[in-house]
Amino acid sequence: MNRVRRLLIASTLSITTVVSASAGADIAIVVNAGSGIDHLTRSEAVNIFMGRYRKLPTGNVALPIDSSSLKARFYRALVNKDLAEINSYWARLVFSGEASPPQQIASSEDVHQLVTQNMNALSYVDSAHVPDDMHVVLTLGE
Amino acid sequence: MRRLLPVCLGIAMAALACAAEARPLTDDGRLTFSGFGTLGLIHNNLGEADFTRDISQPKGAGEGWSARTDSLLGAQVGYRFTDELDTVVQGISRYHDSGDFSPEVSWAFLRYRPDPGLQLRVGRLGWDVYQLSDSRYVGYAYPWVRPPVDHFGTLQLTYIDGVDVTFKQPVGSDLVLLKLYAGRSKSDVFIGEGIETHFDVDKVYGGHVDYETGPWRFRLGYTEVKSDISFSGEVPDQLDQLLALNPYANLTADDVLGDAYGFDRLRLYSLGAVYDQGPLQLQAMWNRSKTSANGSVDSGFVSAGYRIDRVTPYVVYSQIETASDGEGGGEGDFKQKTYSLGARYDVTANMALKAQLDRVHVQRPGFLWRDIDSDWNGGWGSIFSLGLDFIF
Repeated sequence: MNRVRRLLIASTLSITTVVSASAGADIAIVVNAGSGIDHLTRSEAVNIFMGRYRKLPTGNVALPIDSSSLKARFYRALVNKDLAEINSYWARLVFSGEASPPQQIASSEDVHQLVTQNMNALSYVDSAHVPDDMHVVLTLGE
Repeated sequence: MRRLLPVCLGIAMAALACAAEARPLTDDGRLTFSGFGTLGLIHNNLGEADFTRDISQPKGAGEGWSARTDSLLGAQVGYRFTDELDTVVQGISRYHDSGDFSPEVSWAFLRYRPDPGLQLRVGRLGWDVYQLSDSRYVGYAYPWVRPPVDHFGTLQLTYIDGVDVTFKQPVGSDLVLLKLYAGRSKSDVFIGEGIETHFDVDKVYGGHVDYETGPWRFRLGYTEVKSDISFSGEVPDQLDQLLALNPYANLTADDVLGDAYGFDRLRLYSLGAVYDQGPLQLQAMWNRSKTSANGSVDSGFVSAGYRIDRVTPYVVYSQIETASDGEGGGEGDFKQKTYSLGARYDVTANMALKAQLDRVHVQRPGFLWRDIDSDWNGGWGSIFSLGLDFIF
């Protein structure tokens, strides 16, 4: 009996490990650690990154930043769309003069610098590698 | 066209090599350049009438193949003065009222955004009269080869010179948007054989309320267009000669045709709904336009598309029906229904290839067709289209 119980516990533990390992590969939306923003809802994040309504809970204008290396994973997790669909979405808004896409930044060092220097900037990183000077406001499961 | 194709092809090839976002031209990212285009090919199986995309096109696609109807090229330059103030200038070259591809400035405005909930624009603006109407030439932005002709083909204007203001207000996790606009405009449209109608628009004003909840966007809109209308072409010329026989009546073709059509005051009522969730895209729109002569144009469409990996098959149903003096079925009234089936294939993240078959049931021939045989009473037609859309 004891042996069965130990086996059960062991298998439960290993499942938990697997689950947390995959959760470690999620995408975290991050802001400046001193921005005063505790967390964002998913619809607030969609509004900001999709250009619908770019106001932060602090009342300031949000400055979203796309990080090129994670962009495909991020939009898949946020709105279940691939990059062609995201480009198609922005083509409508840009060429009707209604809104502009987030600033596009290629290097993750530059993204880090922009977010840590600007209280209104927000971007995303792999949730397994969140730098200490960034604060996670929303984690998107993949 | 022969000269345009190599240019378009060259740009398409260049687009392949480029990133899809508006590229900054300066180190500080203030100046950006971007563009869009379509290479379109149409096959019309009808010998009796030529197919057009909209009433601004003087000639249509006749029996056989044609590249004129849908091919176009647009480019945009933007400059950001501050985070709140920027300017956008956009030009487009497409087959339009001048009978060629002569480029025109489609937008040129200053935009002021003091707050995410408020936007003011001044200058030349897109005519945002229906959902998607101010992006109807940006093929890359929608699944179809072209927006449903029965619904978008009747639009009289492409731009307004004026102002618009947009208010946005979140309501819980939903968003309410109110846009109001006013301005002037000009356009030439072709509504029948031998008649070109010139709109000198003194006042165009209107607005719409949008409600966005989750994947849904709903819109309710109203617009009024007040214009001085004049006519040219064979029909008004002959009419003028006839009217000149009786100088005491003191009438011109502009008076007679103007009273008959009642284009001097148009009122457009529109409803729209768009659903966009992951791979599924649904659209439904309806419009009623009223003329001052108590005539009306009713149009609408429903569309559904579902993305599977890189391919988005779609189906569309659209229809249009005009009624003069408030009653349909009269002389000169136009009625047709279109059933479309197509697919969009995303070649890269900035280029899409599309194929579409439209089965058009023309119940009473009318102003969306050109060079109509005088003895043609309508019937079924097949329009097959290929499109290559790109952004750069």
